[in-house]
Amino acid sequence: MDTFLLKNINTPGSADISVYKKSGGYKSLKKALKMKPEDIIDEVKRAGLRGRGGAGFPTGMKWDFASRDKNFPKYLLCNADEGEPGTFKDRPILEKDPHLLIEGMAISAHALQAEQGYIYLRAEYPAAKKILEDAIDQAYEDGILGEGIMGSKTNFDLAVHRGAGAYICGEETALIESIEGKRGQPRLKPPFPVNVGAWGKPTIVNNVETLSNLPLIIEIGADAYSKIGNPDCPGPKLYSVSGFVNKPGVYELPMGTSLKDIIYDHCGGIKNGGNLKAVIPGGISTPILPPDKIDCQMDFVSLPKCGSMLGSGAVMVFDESVCLVKVAARAMYFFEHESCGKCTPCREGTGWLRNILERIENGLGRRGDVELILEVASNISGKTFCPLGDGAAGMVLSFIKHFSDEFDEHIENKKCSVN
Amino acid sequence: MSRKVRKEGYPSTRSELLGALHTKQYDEGWLSQDGLKAVSDDLNVPAAAVKGVATFYHMYHNEPMGRNVIQICTNVACMIMGAESLVDLLKKEYGLEPGGTTDDKRFTLVIMECIGACGTAPAMLVNDDFHENLDEKNIIEILNGYK
Amino acid sequence: MITVTINEKDIELEKPVTILEAARQGGITIPTLCYFEGLEKFGGCRLCLVEVEKLPKLQTACTVMVTDGMVVRTETDTIVKARRAMLEFLLINHPLDCPYCDKAGECDLQDLVALYGPDSGRFAEGKRQHPESFDDPIIVRNMERCVNCKRCVRMCEGVQGDSAITVTGRGSHSFIEPFSGGRYDCEYCGNCLTVCPVGAIMSRLHRHSYRPWFVEKEIESLCGFCGVGCSMVLQMRENTILRTIPRMDLGINKGLLCAKGRFGYDLVESSKRLTAPLVRKNGKLVPVSWDEALGTVAEKLGDIKGMNGGGLIAGIASARCTNEANYVFQRFFRETLLSNNIDSIARSFYIPAQNYLEGIFGQGVTANLISGIGNSDAVVIAGGDPTKINPVLGLQIRAAARKGARVISLSDSEGLKRFGSSQLISSAGSENILYGAVVRMLMEGSDVPGKNKALDEALQKLDAPKDKDVESRTGVSVADIGKAVDELKSAKNVSIVLGPDVLLRDGMRGLFLMASMIYLTDARVYLLSERPNEQGLADVGCLPDTLAGGRPVELSSFREKYEQEMGYAVPEKAGMGLFEMVEAMEKGSIKAAYVMGDNPVFNMPSSHRVRNAFKALEFLVVQDAFMTETAQMADVVLPAAIWSEKDGTFVNLERRIQRLHKAKNSVGGLEDWKIIVKIAGLMGSKMSFGSAKEIWEEICKASHLYGSLSYEDLESDKALWPYKGEPLRSGEAAVEVPEDHGTAPEVVVYADRSLFHSGSFSRYSAALNSIQSEPYAMMHSDLAGRIGVKDGDKVRITSGNSSLELVSMINDEIRDGSLRVPNVFEGVCVMSLIDYEPDDSSAINVQRTSGLKVEKA
Ligand SMILES: Cc1cc2nc3c(=O)[nH]c(=O)nc-3n(C[C@H](O)[C@H](O)[C@H](O)COP(=O)(O)O)c2cc1C
Ligand code: SF4
Ligand code: FES
Repeated sequence: MDTFLLKNINTPGSADISVYKKSGGYKSLKKALKMKPEDIIDEVKRAGLRGRGGAGFPTGMKWDFASRDKNFPKYLLCNADEGEPGTFKDRPILEKDPHLLIEGMAISAHALQAEQGYIYLRAEYPAAKKILEDAIDQAYEDGILGEGIMGSKTNFDLAVHRGAGAYICGEETALIESIEGKRGQPRLKPPFPVNVGAWGKPTIVNNVETLSNLPLIIEIGADAYSKIGNPDCPGPKLYSVSGFVNKPGVYELPMGTSLKDIIYDHCGGIKNGGNLKAVIPGGISTPILPPDKIDCQMDFVSLPKCGSMLGSGAVMVFDESVCLVKVAARAMYFFEHESCGKCTPCREGTGWLRNILERIENGLGRRGDVELILEVASNISGKTFCPLGDGAAGMVLSFIKHFSDEFDEHIENKKCSVN
Repeated sequence: MSRKVRKEGYPSTRSELLGALHTKQYDEGWLSQDGLKAVSDDLNVPAAAVKGVATFYHMYHNEPMGRNVIQICTNVACMIMGAESLVDLLKKEYGLEPGGTTDDKRFTLVIMECIGACGTAPAMLVNDDFHENLDEKNIIEILNGYK
Repeated sequence: MITVTINEKDIELEKPVTILEAARQGGITIPTLCYFEGLEKFGGCRLCLVEVEKLPKLQTACTVMVTDGMVVRTETDTIVKARRAMLEFLLINHPLDCPYCDKAGECDLQDLVALYGPDSGRFAEGKRQHPESFDDPIIVRNMERCVNCKRCVRMCEGVQGDSAITVTGRGSHSFIEPFSGGRYDCEYCGNCLTVCPVGAIMSRLHRHSYRPWFVEKEIESLCGFCGVGCSMVLQMRENTILRTIPRMDLGINKGLLCAKGRFGYDLVESSKRLTAPLVRKNGKLVPVSWDEALGTVAEKLGDIKGMNGGGLIAGIASARCTNEANYVFQRFFRETLLSNNIDSIARSFYIPAQNYLEGIFGQGVTANLISGIGNSDAVVIAGGDPTKINPVLGLQIRAAARKGARVISLSDSEGLKRFGSSQLISSAGSENILYGAVVRMLMEGSDVPGKNKALDEALQKLDAPKDKDVESRTGVSVADIGKAVDELKSAKNVSIVLGPDVLLRDGMRGLFLMASMIYLTDARVYLLSERPNEQGLADVGCLPDTLAGGRPVELSSFREKYEQEMGYAVPEKAGMGLFEMVEAMEKGSIKAAYVMGDNPVFNMPSSHRVRNAFKALEFLVVQDAFMTETAQMADVVLPAAIWSEKDGTFVNLERRIQRLHKAKNSVGGLEDWKIIVKIAGLMGSKMSFGSAKEIWEEICKASHLYGSLSYEDLESDKALWPYKGEPLRSGEAAVEVPEDHGTAPEVVVYADRSLFHSGSFSRYSAALNSIQSEPYAMMHSDLAGRIGVKDGDKVRITSGNSSLELVSMINDEIRDGSLRVPNVFEGVCVMSLIDYEPDDSSAINVQRTSGLKVEKA
């Protein structure tokens, strides 16, 4: 398939505006600026674009809500927090093709009549900060940002806001708190950010990849776009693949490519000819799947039917050398570490689960521990303030659902049979 | 044409806090009580609130750091690719414990959650530099470059 | 109308509220932990989860708003299980040290676990540990018990506005801490103690000394420290106050208190209390019986009165005493001693300022509800920091600012630093010029309002300073002033808050300019009041020229009417005011003085002069609870009951009349009015009162202002005068334009009004002293630099013939050139450095220093 999102990343000097323009960059923006904002929103709706940050919310619908709010100014925030373990799909755009994102944001800003945008960039990407800022400078010099962009009547200012190491700030309301200079704890909803967001104003938060789809939608039009991949949630999708495959990396494939194709065709199969033991399809907040589920298509509608979720499209592949109890314990350590502390079940429950998982891993598990995990996890599930806690509970529940033998074995034998 | 809002321009000065803390940390290596107070005074943000922010985010250091901060990821993708043995190696080689600093203040070791290099795991950041596809050999070579 | 069905019960609601509030209205209890009425919504503890039909997930009742037709269930199996799960989660890191936790018995967590389980714990690993912090003298933090509800932080940030504490760390490693991590550097309002649902933040004062169930009775009363008059509850066991707490639903303060109100109660039980009457014998004060002491007073006062009538005797009443005590005091002076020489320290600011403003705008102009400030869209502050002088009133200004009001400070007001839109801080001593500039700019581009002829004419004569003079003399840019004035002009609802320095430093000119500002912006005005009953003093006639109810002494028709109604005659000639009394003492035309509940030789400016004047007296009686500087000079000292030991009423600065309730007996002290009634009786008076209530009834007769309010009416929390909220008389006074005094010297000494002290009274509170126990000389680092001192160095301040050595305290939030010393601590009387002198055109005195020298000691 033709790549779009990643087409420039291997071009030398791809982060430079002239290189970007040479490959047709900023033509879509020029075209979009001549369109009426509501027409762009309509186009995005018809294109069927769904958010690539994890939740898969229809982007056109979100924009529609925001544009109905007549309170100004409005803010456009790009979620470049990319914190979901296993995910590294936004990084190539941020580091190699910043102008694609800037163009996408400028189109979105015009559509949303947001005159100010911020890229909320995770602090773990220091190189990207400089690259983005240089690109923004170039865009200003070129009249692509600022007052009357590309000679139009649209104004758009853009700046980078650097996070400081907190997974929860990927959650959009926590991200807003963080942009406001606060501890990144999620806010109550309603009011929703599209009405009351950053600094109390209507605010649109979209993922890097989502926004980077805009130039394509404008270029080829909603009809052509909606024919890419699964018609229920079309478009190109970036999959970041890690773990035991021969060729890990970021792949741009049509939405709905099967997990099997990704692993075996694109990534060259299991590393060193090993056997597949399990795969996490969408980052560690999404349920793990056993090998018999790998025919599943990787998109927002198919994965739930197979018992998982697309999440951020971060495929983590485990072969038989991996102890899944250990993976679960490490993943739970992550959730405990990243729990913001606002709500009781997530704050206390993740630590408790990590304790139980670690003791099982260390051969100190007790009879009843698996049941205890199930109970604690279900006491978290559905009761937390934001989805972080749900992700933690869902993760461990899926491990036990598919791999309870491995847990029992640890408890019985008081040791791990893999390591 | 330069506009009113560029780069660190925000509708409220409180929003400058994260950036101000980064700058302070860059200048002084860590965020001391005095450093926090100075940021508080500069931005007219209550000192306690500054502290609340400085301790919430994992990449702000509230303790003195060595000259070079090794930030190694041990999250799942890096772990299964051997990050733990690298951590052990750092202990053997430099006497570094997670969270610890070498006596000569050359290195501080910080365990990171996912740093977005899962496809090239294991990986670490040393100060602001990414190093990927680490193994027991190259990690020491890389670190030798940091004095 | 909205109808919701909760547990099959239909609840009708006028407006949308949360499910929790709806349930409460319908008498249904939903357990909560992080919810606290009045704080920002949070929804973190997840205890209030309920089922809402058609919604897949459980919802938090404390945050979700009801909609018409909503069907809610609060006690299903799923919910009960979830609730138990949340409690189990909370307990895994909780130390379960209830046996020695002071909160046991009033702990929300304990109560919830008792109600909903779990009955055993399944968590096996070690709990999170955090050492208990005893770094602070007043507040003890035990973060192992913290449930992360953030109620304290939401209170501190969102209501108190101090933002002194924060959540540090993240996740289960989150703890509540002040910035230092140890000792608090805060306003010590203690409102975090009110809201903490568990034993995580507690008062250290009564640590391990009692259990909540030891409380035998709760007495609703008032705080006795300042003119706001916060409601509070005294929790008593036998004759001891266990602690004071606010009631959330009551009073002006609705659950808030300041440091003094919350922690200062221990002064009642100070070991320094006077317990027996003292009479000077052979130069020494020795304990005697009440009979002997009172007999001595009656005899001496009788002798002196016999010499040349009551005019030889001066009476100083007290703004810390009740209306009842003050009324009896003035009646004793007028009826028995035949003297109108009655005044008080309120003469320095509150009374003359009020007289002046009432003269222009009408009686009752300063009677404005404190809560009104919170609804203003602009607040102007001059003459002192409201958040220090009247802290709970200060909170209303912060609340207004949070709602978007412009707060314009024309004087140092550190407490509003983060809330003010304009801080126009002129160089020390040049406030007059700044005020003048504001008034001039307010007039620019518009005609005089035309509502008050006298003021209109005066304003047209105003010689306001020119722009260039303003900048050079005040150091404030004209553009900044202009911006503030524009904000004021566009505001519809302005409040002006005036503190003592408007008069003390700026004299009549200051007051005139403030009156002009009030006039030009059509503002509500508030006079800050440092003591609890300054207004009451005036109301009940503790004034040389005015009887209770504001009737002028010198009008014979009033006097006659008064005599008919009250049954006692009043001397014809107006008496002496406070400052005249001092002069008369110096000249020998006053030979005796009776001081009730004040410490004039410490509290009055030119304290050396005042002291010498008192020394010249033939006879001095001091009625007080402590051996004050003035009491030490007395011939007879009569121990008095204070605050929680007496019944009576106070009138606060908005003229709310409130009841003070007796909670305990005084050890040795008697209620002020009882002492005076006894002396009067010995001197032949027929005055007889059996209770404070009987005195109140007479006051209501004497003062038509109070209508016929009964003590019962006063309990309703709504007793304000002028009772119907109307000014009683319109202003008619002619208005002079007082002269511009020019700029004051480079350094100006101010009495620092600390948030933690209240005159020389609070020095007897061990708790308040533990927050601030030392005198200091507060100054800006620039001034410190000029005299070559560093923070903590000793400085010597000399003025006239007195000199003080103090530790310097550098604070860059106050203006350069001001030197602030608290007038609190024994032996350090800043009033010895400050002189008073009459302001040209009036009987009003202003404070000055002469030949001030500040140097490194
Ligand atoms: C705990 C948590 C972490 C998240 N992290 C990210 C993230 O790192 N990057 C991201 O784009 N979205 C993240 N999201 C999703 C955002 O909340 C939000 O849905 C997204 O930014 C919306 O953009 P989109 O519609 O373009 O996907 C996270 C959500 C949760 C609950
Ligand atoms: S689930 Fe609760 S504690 Fe966890 S991150 Fe979300 S709000 Fe914070
Ligand atoms: S009371 Fe509702 S979540 Fe705490």
